[in-house]
Amino acid sequence: MSDSIVRFKGVTKKFGDTKAVNDVSFEVGKGRIFGLLGPNGAGKTTSIRMLTYILKPDTGIITVFGTPTGPETQARLGYLPEERGLYKKMKVGEQLVYLARLRGLSREDARKRIRYWLERFGAYEWIGQEVGELSKGMQQKIQFVATIAHDPDCLIFDEPFSGLDPINSEMLKDVILELRDAGKTIFFATHRMEQVEQICDDIALFNKGRLILNGELDKIRSSYGLNSIRLRFTGDNRFLSELKNVRINNKSTNFAELRLLEGADDQAILQQAQSHVRVRGFELVQPSIQEIFIDTVSRETPS
Amino acid sequence: MIQKEKLLLIIQREYLTRLKSKIFIVSTILAPVVMILLLVLPAVIQTMSGDRVRQFLVFDETGVVGQELVASDSVYYQLTEINPDSLRQSLMLGEMEGYLVVPHELLDGKGSAMFYHGGTAGMTVTSRIRSDVQRVVRDIRLDRLDTPAEVRQILTDRVETENLTITPEGEEAADSDFYMILGFIMGFIIYGAMFGYGAVIMRSVMEEKTSRIVEVVASSVRPFELLVGKVTGVAMLGLTQFVIWAAAGAVLMFAAGPVIALFIGTGPQGAETAAADVAVTAEAASFSIPAIGPMIWISFVLFFLLGFLIYSSLFAAVGSAVDQESDSQQLQLPIIMLIIIPLMFLFPVSDDPASRLAVTLSMIPFFAPILMPVRMAVLQIPFWQFGVTILIMVLTFTLLMWMSARIYRTGILMYGKKATFRELWRWMREN
Repeated sequence: MSDSIVRFKGVTKKFGDTKAVNDVSFEVGKGRIFGLLGPNGAGKTTSIRMLTYILKPDTGIITVFGTPTGPETQARLGYLPEERGLYKKMKVGEQLVYLARLRGLSREDARKRIRYWLERFGAYEWIGQEVGELSKGMQQKIQFVATIAHDPDCLIFDEPFSGLDPINSEMLKDVILELRDAGKTIFFATHRMEQVEQICDDIALFNKGRLILNGELDKIRSSYGLNSIRLRFTGDNRFLSELKNVRINNKSTNFAELRLLEGADDQAILQQAQSHVRVRGFELVQPSIQEIFIDTVSRETPS
Repeated sequence: MIQKEKLLLIIQREYLTRLKSKIFIVSTILAPVVMILLLVLPAVIQTMSGDRVRQFLVFDETGVVGQELVASDSVYYQLTEINPDSLRQSLMLGEMEGYLVVPHELLDGKGSAMFYHGGTAGMTVTSRIRSDVQRVVRDIRLDRLDTPAEVRQILTDRVETENLTITPEGEEAADSDFYMILGFIMGFIIYGAMFGYGAVIMRSVMEEKTSRIVEVVASSVRPFELLVGKVTGVAMLGLTQFVIWAAAGAVLMFAAGPVIALFIGTGPQGAETAAADVAVTAEAASFSIPAIGPMIWISFVLFFLLGFLIYSSLFAAVGSAVDQESDSQQLQLPIIMLIIIPLMFLFPVSDDPASRLAVTLSMIPFFAPILMPVRMAVLQIPFWQFGVTILIMVLTFTLLMWMSARIYRTGILMYGKKATFRELWRWMREN
């Protein structure tokens, strides 16, 4: 990618003896939504903290807009940490202006932009209230405004949807897509794989500090082919455990997602299903991110 | 924006948000009120508890001592003819508070008066009875020898020794006692301020950490700048509080002159003649506290600042290492010990401020903020001691701040477990 915004090159970060991030390299293009995926402790947050220059890599280099990370690159990033908070005793307006000014905005610009975003989120009336007096949902909106108010070119969201109510979730998703369309690059770290499929253009899969898979989401998924079955049915789901050469990724009372392993025959599975339950839907699909992750990890660590 | 402007922004926030906070306003008003209450309350309580009528029976074998005692206070003392055995019985039955037996030989300078009570007499009563008996017996014995008035005057005269300090420059300063008390007060204020503002720093670091706001800030500025900004902002807050108190104190002093005069004028001498009253009032009107030299003020501010800086860097490190206040106890303990130790030496140091013990202790950077102002209030210390102590404190602060910043940098990003001393040591050595 010639227009890469963020570049990790051979980045390693150790805490004591553990390598939290181990020789990681990847690039992120302009206007992409980039998903950092992996279970807790995989190295996502450490990578983000290095990107935001809170931590420095032990070895390797990270560049943002071609510049190695430092105070200058910090001003061009917007960061929403995982478990977020604000100064509880500070008023919404004062707080947002303070944070935006720390990012290099002038007081006037900060006021203007904060007003715009607060109005956009229907939160302008809270500008004089202390953050601690607001409900959790309101605080989340304020936090979000704090992340984007200085108009950064690259935004980093660490588990942005955790703890959001459905209305705020939807709003956040809309804004993220809007920002992407406006040419912003967006980092999006999560361990909830299903969120990624709806929103990300590219992904980087992390496990135990290593980058185990990286690329365009659609390409990765199509490279796996139609190797999964989505099955909807009514009846007793116990037959699922008798199926051979499949891995069951998602199972509920009337739905199952099956990964076909070597030697599995989709038609045989359909017949087997029909003999036990009433099949409402049967579809061959590309694997889910969850499935790809499990697949990649199991290949990385031969058992 | 260059980093310096960001630092100013942080200092401004740390200072202004606290200046406007309720806690600051309330503590600024309340601290002097509490201090005054602590000074005044014991006296108030004393007068309140004094309303109980107390009476003691006197069984007098001399025939004169008892009369004199009753003559001095007929409520307090009552003569009795009941013999001591019956008195004892009735005391045991709880019918009276106590009785005094004055034996014959007391007037010959032998034996002693016996004061029996049910254990309820208390210090004030026993010491009063002791001094009353002493005075009455002495007067009677002097009477019997026809002692001339001049001799009696000599016996009752108080001989004063005035207490003056001569500085190497030859200046005289009166009232060493006042300066000793001043030193004590300054030591205590610095102690309270270091503790209070140190805790402010610790709690603030902890709050930023647990609310994760520190990550947002740290993605804009270096953690070190946040720490420096915070410490500076709070130090300015402390100075602001002192200035407010000093200004209020000056205004009060100015306004209080006449009030104090009024108090002294209607004090215990209230029964005396009008002429004497006027004299007392005139004396009180010219009442003023001795001058507090600029050096004392400067050293007070300087030692508060350096002490605060030293301790706040320690408190900041603790705050960054824990997730909640209850976890901080163990890590705080060594800091609290360091602050409390000089308090224990407050008296010996002010009692002999030039002793080797006092000099040594007051030059230890952790103790200096409390002990040095105490010494400097009483004594003009050699300049080298002052200079060397300041230098040691600055070096100590620099070292501690460096160590603390390294712990802080790691600590603010560590969640979910409480760090041990060993871990703090490891964080400090990591780069």
